[in-house]
Amino acid sequence: MQTMTPTGIETATEHSGDWAVHLTHVSKVYRGKVHALRGIDMRVKRGEVFGLLGPNGAGKSTLVKILLTVISSTRADGVMLGRPIGDKSALARVGYLPEHHRFPEYLTGAQVLDFYAAMSRVPRRQRRERSGRLLDLVGMKDWANKAVRGYSKGMRQRIGIAQALMNDPELVVLDEPTDGVDPVGRRDIRVMLQQLRDEGKTVFLNSHLLSELEMVCDRVAILVQGRVVSQGTIGELTDHRKYYEIEALAGSQPAQIEVLSNAVSGVLGPRADPGPPLVSPHPGVAVPETDIGALAGGERVFVRSGALRILTTEAAAVQPVLDALRSRGLVIRAVREYRPSLEDLFMEAVTDPTTGKALVPGAAKDGKNGGGR
Amino acid sequence: MIQTWALLVDAYRELSAKRLFWITLILSGLVVAVFGAFGINSKGLTFLWWEFPLPLFNSDTVPPATFYKFVFANFGVPIWLAWVAGVLALISTASIIPDFIAGGAVELTLSKPISRVRLFLIKFVSGLLFVTLQVGLFTGACFVVIGFRGGSWEWGLWLAVPIVVLMFSYLFSVCALVGLLTRSTIAALLITLLVWFAVWIVNAGDAVMILQRETAIMDLESREKLLSQRLETARKQAEKTAAEGQTPVEPDKNPLVVFARGQVKEAEESVKTWTKWASIAFGIKTVLPKTGETVALLDRHLLSLEDRKKFRPETVQPDELEEEERPRRGRRGRVRVEERVDEVIRARSVWWVVGTSVAFEGVMLGLACLIFARRDF
Repeated sequence: MQTMTPTGIETATEHSGDWAVHLTHVSKVYRGKVHALRGIDMRVKRGEVFGLLGPNGAGKSTLVKILLTVISSTRADGVMLGRPIGDKSALARVGYLPEHHRFPEYLTGAQVLDFYAAMSRVPRRQRRERSGRLLDLVGMKDWANKAVRGYSKGMRQRIGIAQALMNDPELVVLDEPTDGVDPVGRRDIRVMLQQLRDEGKTVFLNSHLLSELEMVCDRVAILVQGRVVSQGTIGELTDHRKYYEIEALAGSQPAQIEVLSNAVSGVLGPRADPGPPLVSPHPGVAVPETDIGALAGGERVFVRSGALRILTTEAAAVQPVLDALRSRGLVIRAVREYRPSLEDLFMEAVTDPTTGKALVPGAAKDGKNGGGR
Repeated sequence: MIQTWALLVDAYRELSAKRLFWITLILSGLVVAVFGAFGINSKGLTFLWWEFPLPLFNSDTVPPATFYKFVFANFGVPIWLAWVAGVLALISTASIIPDFIAGGAVELTLSKPISRVRLFLIKFVSGLLFVTLQVGLFTGACFVVIGFRGGSWEWGLWLAVPIVVLMFSYLFSVCALVGLLTRSTIAALLITLLVWFAVWIVNAGDAVMILQRETAIMDLESREKLLSQRLETARKQAEKTAAEGQTPVEPDKNPLVVFARGQVKEAEESVKTWTKWASIAFGIKTVLPKTGETVALLDRHLLSLEDRKKFRPETVQPDELEEEERPRRGRRGRVRVEERVDEVIRARSVWWVVGTSVAFEGVMLGLACLIFARRDF
């Protein structure tokens, strides 16, 4: 059931111009006290490509379905295209491609486009105009008059994308749009998403293909166990996690931890308390590292067998360390600037920082699961 | 309006994609062909070039137009359209709601700017399209046959379309509700057929109770008549005896009168019992959809009671019956009881027949809309 508090209404007015979607306190509790969403706060700017990530059962589809009124929320404050969440009138300006969509088998591709556009109240003339153009855009013009039952999965996906655009939407919600599409089709879809952004449309993407999201998304949100654990541009989420990694050899063997620690001890300042957990260069694999202190500028230094990791975005900060290593006769094998990928961020988000293991997937029952986040 | 039209066009596309739709249509065509092949002339019945002489059943006793209307209203509509085509229609349309709410299909439709209640109701109405098209085409063909073969252009025939669609809508409301609850086509179909069967049982029970009550009433009337005759005879005998100077037997104490009075009391008890059971059957029937009686409205409209009497095995007028004939005895008595049952059933108002059935349908649809509007998909 949608709950629109006075605060929500104020938000709707306040942010309707800036945000395509602005959500606060969105929650969903299913029967049996299963908490699918636990107070989602999320913003999607107009004209951007926004990616929603999360493991299976994180609540991504639930959130999308609440936006599209397919399911009701337990509570949902906020707006979509200037209308309160749950308001059907906003849906005329939204295009949607569900994840496991199933179009009527007896319709042809052109009829699918026409039917769903009519359901979005698009007048007949506009439907005809757009249908030909979009079928051409998704490469399905030759198949337009063939029944959907004869389509491959990729073809159905292409028709699905075309139908999502038939009402010339301001907001396009695509759930796994490249599912079943071949590499050429995926590239075409990426190009199309960029075109949509260039036309000023907002794209809300829900996908598991992190590398693809990274290529097209302006901003992302990571959803874990019904909560948004991080949200922002990929730059915002990754810049402060950048680091340099130095690989050093002692003779022909990787330098041992003690050798490396002793070599850089002269450039380290007083030891600070351990900070937040770091992104591992090998996501999902526990690499033992030791925090050996910080440089003069406060940049933390970690050591493992054969390598040092320095948390800084500045190349200059690394130079004293390199000097110290050389002065001890160690061979610098490699210096790499490392910026975490979206996959690294994702893996970090779905890993329990205390145990290093992946969090239990799925919704939380009665407030359990992921309570530590 | 764009959305409503789109849903109706989609329903037509869905139906025309079903093989059963075309099979039913072809079968309907065959039924009409057989209907048109029958005829009636001054000698009796005809079928194509064959003649079946019937001295009591020919165009002199039954005009051709009445013959065709009777066949249409008593066989074409209630047997073919309401039963056979009705079952085929249910088989064809039982999947509409389960398919509509299937995962992957419903999300996209629900994400459109249309209220759920409206969406469900349009989907329900579109499910009636199958029957509407079938009945429309069948009636049109029969209209032409009666026009040319019977020499009468019966516009009243077209009433079959709303009547049969209305009757089917009662059942389809059950089908839609069960389909929504169970998401299963098989469950929707089987439960609807079960409800239909239950309705038929109640309907048959109601007819039996009316028959028994009317028989009992006629029995009572006959016994009361006998009692008054015997009283009269006893009174005359008493007067005669008194005139002869003997002590007369009081008419009330005459053994024949006492016996007849006992029989009247017995008949009164019987009337009471059957009236009670008929009321119970009527009560149960009131809350259920009246499929049979709804279809019978066409018969009411097309044929008067007088017309119907022409099709009785033996055309008998009540005054021709023997004075003391008991309703249970003989063909004449049965004919008279059947006529009374017909009268009782026909006396039930159209508003009662349609109103209570539509109320049942309203409850089914109301529940379905409530569930559909609140369910998460």
